[in-house]
Order: sequence, then structure tokens, then C-alpha cells
Amino acid sequence: MRLSATVRRTGLRAILPRWYQALPAWCWWLFFFVTPITWVAMASLGMKPIDPSRGAVVFDQLSLANYDAATGNVFFAVFLITIKTAGLGTLICFLVGFPVAYALATKVPVRWRTPLVFLLLLPYWTSFLLRTFAWRIILAPQGELSDLLRSIGLMSTPLMILDSNTAVQLGIVYNYLPIVILPIYVALDRIDPAFKQASMDLGAGRLGTFLQVTLPLAVPGIVGGVLLTFILAAGDYVVPAILGGAKGLMVGNLVALQVLASQNLPIGAAMAMVLIGLLAVVVTVVGTAAFGLRSIVRLVRGPAL
Amino acid sequence: MKASDVELQGVSRLFGDFRAVDDVSFQVMAGEFLSLLGASGAGKSTVLRMIGGFDHPDTGVIRIGGTDVTPLPPYRRDVNTVFQHYALFPHMNVAENVAYGLRQERVPTTERRTRVRDALDMVRLLPLSQRRPDQLSGGQQQRVALARALVKRPSVLLLDEPLGALDRRLRQQMQVELKLLQNELGLTFVFVTHDQEEALAMSDRIAVMRDGRIEQLGSPTELYDRPINAFAANFIGLQNFFEGRVDGSTGRLEFDSGAAFTGERAAQGVGAGERGLGAVRPENVQISATEPAADTNKSKGRVAAVVMLGDVLEYIVVLASGMEVVSRSPRGRDEPWEKGHEVWVHWMPQNAMIFPFDETVMRERELSSRMGGKPEPGADDDTDRPPPRE
Repeated sequence: MRLSATVRRTGLRAILPRWYQALPAWCWWLFFFVTPITWVAMASLGMKPIDPSRGAVVFDQLSLANYDAATGNVFFAVFLITIKTAGLGTLICFLVGFPVAYALATKVPVRWRTPLVFLLLLPYWTSFLLRTFAWRIILAPQGELSDLLRSIGLMSTPLMILDSNTAVQLGIVYNYLPIVILPIYVALDRIDPAFKQASMDLGAGRLGTFLQVTLPLAVPGIVGGVLLTFILAAGDYVVPAILGGAKGLMVGNLVALQVLASQNLPIGAAMAMVLIGLLAVVVTVVGTAAFGLRSIVRLVRGPAL
Repeated sequence: MKASDVELQGVSRLFGDFRAVDDVSFQVMAGEFLSLLGASGAGKSTVLRMIGGFDHPDTGVIRIGGTDVTPLPPYRRDVNTVFQHYALFPHMNVAENVAYGLRQERVPTTERRTRVRDALDMVRLLPLSQRRPDQLSGGQQQRVALARALVKRPSVLLLDEPLGALDRRLRQQMQVELKLLQNELGLTFVFVTHDQEEALAMSDRIAVMRDGRIEQLGSPTELYDRPINAFAANFIGLQNFFEGRVDGSTGRLEFDSGAAFTGERAAQGVGAGERGLGAVRPENVQISATEPAADTNKSKGRVAAVVMLGDVLEYIVVLASGMEVVSRSPRGRDEPWEKGHEVWVHWMPQNAMIFPFDETVMRERELSSRMGGKPEPGADDDTDRPPPRE
């Protein structure tokens, strides 16, 4: 037990370690994150027992054989589709969500902002599953959207995007849009209006101010929103399961197939670990690039002095 | 650099029912240092913002160098601003901040670099050019903001309370530097402040503002010696105020006690029989042990406090009515008075002025009364508080 150099702690606090106030957070992290991940990692090194009565995984022989199976052609093909779907989805979310966040932070009168943010989050009060299921009804070949598109002449045959990758893409965008909007809105809202005024005072027009001042200052929020969306979308299981059918497979479903259908937990665990590893790489690369962008711009422009 | 004049004509700005700026018209001469002086909410910052283009007048015209700039956005006006909290771009270092304006003009690289270097040299911050704003002190940030605005060679520079965040000593130092800079460059400066000492020290002319209107526009001397109303008299420098009624025949301010106050009538005079305020500055109030010969402008009281202000001694004399009169005199000139002395305070008519009664001024003085020795106002805002009987 170490006492603070300047303050004598009395009573109960004299006994507790200095970091005791972080204890709840540590416990949460250990229980809900470290433990499951460790278990999954360990499971990926074990094997599925021949005798089912022994449980889901046994550790007679620790090996990396599961990883061989996990990183086969099927996995990589699905992994690429996942990255593409999640990536494209994130991009669309960003392109659609940024103007919304911008309008919310700059154009909307202050007293309307909180109610509007509330409305933005309102869908999350409903079950994710049910909302996604609702899209099955909307996108059905004999559904309203199909009829509408045919009646205005955009399509001649019934809408067939359900149970395909396109439907999954749509579902991803729909479900993750608020997650992109919120961090960007917060970042934009925090920007002092004086910066924009100073920029215009110094001769930059609206576009110039946006590109040189607003956007760079909003980058942390943008990166946060985009990364969060991408990670969640990449691991999504519900949207491809409900809207994707056989053609809309993503890694989340693949892992679920292994664990639930094939009853092969160790291989599923190995796949999950590979997914985590690959996502970590993607996130690191993107994150570094975004923050390194400033240095690159500086390099290209040359010193100001 | 060429300086321009700034002209406002009939400019108003309303926020709903609130008149932030109410039909303001004035002209800043080219090369002049003009201050907009007033309390918070007086409208001075709003006027400045409208000159800069950050806000739009609801009525009126704004001209810079003869050109009507009212519909123009900030980036099309030959004006630059030093903001109250500097607004230095946090994602750029000092040099990049200063270079920003020149980049927008697409100034060629070599020329841009030279001008940035010269600007930083002018404010003596060249060694810190690679630092970021959050690595600078308040005074340094302020100088970067100044360099950033001046490097563009505007014909008018707007400054929105730029010295507010600095400590007293640094602020005084910067006042001198800014004034010297303005002299040297010959630019037009429009300076917003709530500090009347600052305005007096730096300005060629001062516009005293209240409730969106200009109360008085004049040189520091004019404002100090010949304020046009009680508000202006009270806002600049220190003032003693006496409440009474004007006698139609003598032009004197009469009090219930029978004592009287003679002084020069303000330009907007008080009508006969109406309430008025007699004003005399502390440095013009003399103290003597015996009753003065004149039959007006005198009162008897007791020294309640003596304040040592360095080069000046300040006496607080409490009259029989409870009113405090403040008197100041240079140290060493006379034998100092002491607390508890029974004395007479008196002053000369040519140093005194009579203004129409202004309720707001008296209420504000009540709130900032130093000793709190004035009688409780209660609901008695309408009664006179006369000085004591003889």
C-alpha cells in the first residue's frame, strides 16, 4: 500500500490501493472482454471431440490445425465479401450521414438539436432484429416498394433484391447510419464558430473554410464514427442472416454456421480470431492514415516559413 | 499600407424585440484609432461584427473607404479582425496560422514566406514559429492573432477586446505596443473594450455606447472634461454625484437642506424645477478644516477612510446625510487628513457640471458603492437624498 506523497489518506481509503476507483471498470473489462476472448483464443487451439459427451472442445492436443481449416478458400471469399459490404456500407453511411451531422451542428437552431438527436436514436428503442425483419416485408417481390417502383415505371419485373448481397448492403446502411452521424455531429458541434469566422475574415470562402478548417477539426469524430461503424458492420450477423439468404453470407454467419450447424466450436473460434486479427490490422492502417494525413499535406505543401 | 475610413449610417440590429444596435451612425477617419467603449450588452461587439461582416445590419449602410460593403461577406472586405479569444487554428502551428490569409490570396510562395517572417518579426515571435497555439501563453497567442491579421495589410483592423484575457501588467504593455504599432503603420484601428482606462490611453476618439446607442463620441479629453450627460460623466473616470432640483432663476441645483450646487450646465440642460445630478470629479474636490467662504459647492462631513493609491491619496468623506464624497490629491502636496477628522469638502463651479437626472446611473452606482454607507434605498427611488444641513 502506497500513500500519496502529499496527502495522508485516512480510514478505508488508507487500505485500498490508489487505483481502487477504477475497479468496477477493470472488473467489467476482465469479465466481459478479457475472459471471453481468452477462452475463444484457447478454444481455437483445441479440437472438437469425437465423443460428444466430452463437451464442445477438448484440449488433448493443442494445435493450429483449426487455423488451417479456418483460412481456407471459403473463409477468404466470405471475408472479402464482408470487407466489401462493410466497407461500402460504411462509405455510404458516411456520405449520407455527414451532411446530416453537419446540418444538425450548424444549420439547425439550438433548441431543435436535442429533440432531433433523440429522433435519430429512436429506432434503437426497437429490437434490431425486428427492424431488420421489417425490411423483408418492404423489399419483398410482392411488397409495397416493388409495386411502387413498377407503377412509376422504374422497373418492369418484381423487385428481386431480397436474399441477396444488395439487400444486406441496404440493411447495413439502414442500421448503422445513426452510429456514423452521432460522433461526427459531436465533433462538429464542438468546433468554435470563431474558427470559421476567422477563416472567412482571412479570405477563405465557404468551401475553403470547410476544407481547410472545419473538416480537419472534425477528423477525430469522423474517424471514430467510421471505424466504429465498420467494425460493427463487419461482425454483423443479424442483417446477413435475415436479409441475405444464401447469397448474402458474411463472416459473422460463417462463424455461427460452424458453431451452431456444424457443431465445430474450435474452428468457429479460429475463424473469429482471424477476423479479429484482420480487423485490427485494417483499423490500425486506416486510423494511422487518417491522422497521418495532416503530415502528408504538410510535406506536400512545404514549410510555411 | 493604405488606411481607409469606416462609415456607419443608421445601422440597427434587432434580435426579436431587443435592439442590440439602435440607429447608430458615425465615421472613423482613415488612420484613426477609435474605441467603442461600453458595458457588456451595450452593442459595441455587435457593431464591430457588422463592420467585419460576421453579422448583418437590419437597417442602415456600412461603408469602408467609400465602398458600400453592407451586402459583402467577410472574405470580400478589406478588413481583418483580431478576435476576443484569438481563434488561432489549433491544427496549425504559428507560422501556418499567419500564412493562412496569404494562402487564400494565392500569394506566391517566396513572397508569402517573406511576409510571414516579417509579420512574426514585428510581433517578436519569430523563434516560436513552429509552436502550436496550445503551447503559447495568452500574450503570445494574442500577438500571433495580431500578426495573422496584419500580414494581410488590411486598410482597417478590428480588435474585439483583445487584451481582456491578459493580466494587468501585460495588458498595459500591450496597450503601448498596439498604439505604437498603429502609429507606425498608419492603419485605421477600431477597438472594442469595456475598460475606460484602456480606451483613454489608446484612442484618438472614443464612442461611448449604452443600450445600442452612442451616448457620446469625442476625444479622450473631450469625454473627460465635457461629458454630455450623467452616463458619460460616470462611465469615464471617477465622479461624485449630488441629487437635487434645479432652480429656474439661479440655475443652481437646490437641495432640501437649503444647500446648493453651482456648476456648468450640460449641453442637454435640465429644465427648471426638474431633478438633476451635480457632478464633480474627486481630483477637483478639496478638503479644508474651516468652512469655505463661497455659499455653494460646499458640505461638512467626517473623514471615514484614507486610501493610499501610490502617487495619490484618496479620502472618503461621509456627510451627515450618509452620502460619501470622494476626494483625491497627490501625495506630499498637503498635510494628509486622518480618519475621523471633521472637515469641509468644497469645489469650484468651473469644475462642476449639472446633468438631467438619470435613474440607471444612480442605480448602478448604488450597486458598486465602495463602503455600502449609503442609506438603504428601499422603495425610495424617487426621493432626493440631499446633503446635510449646515
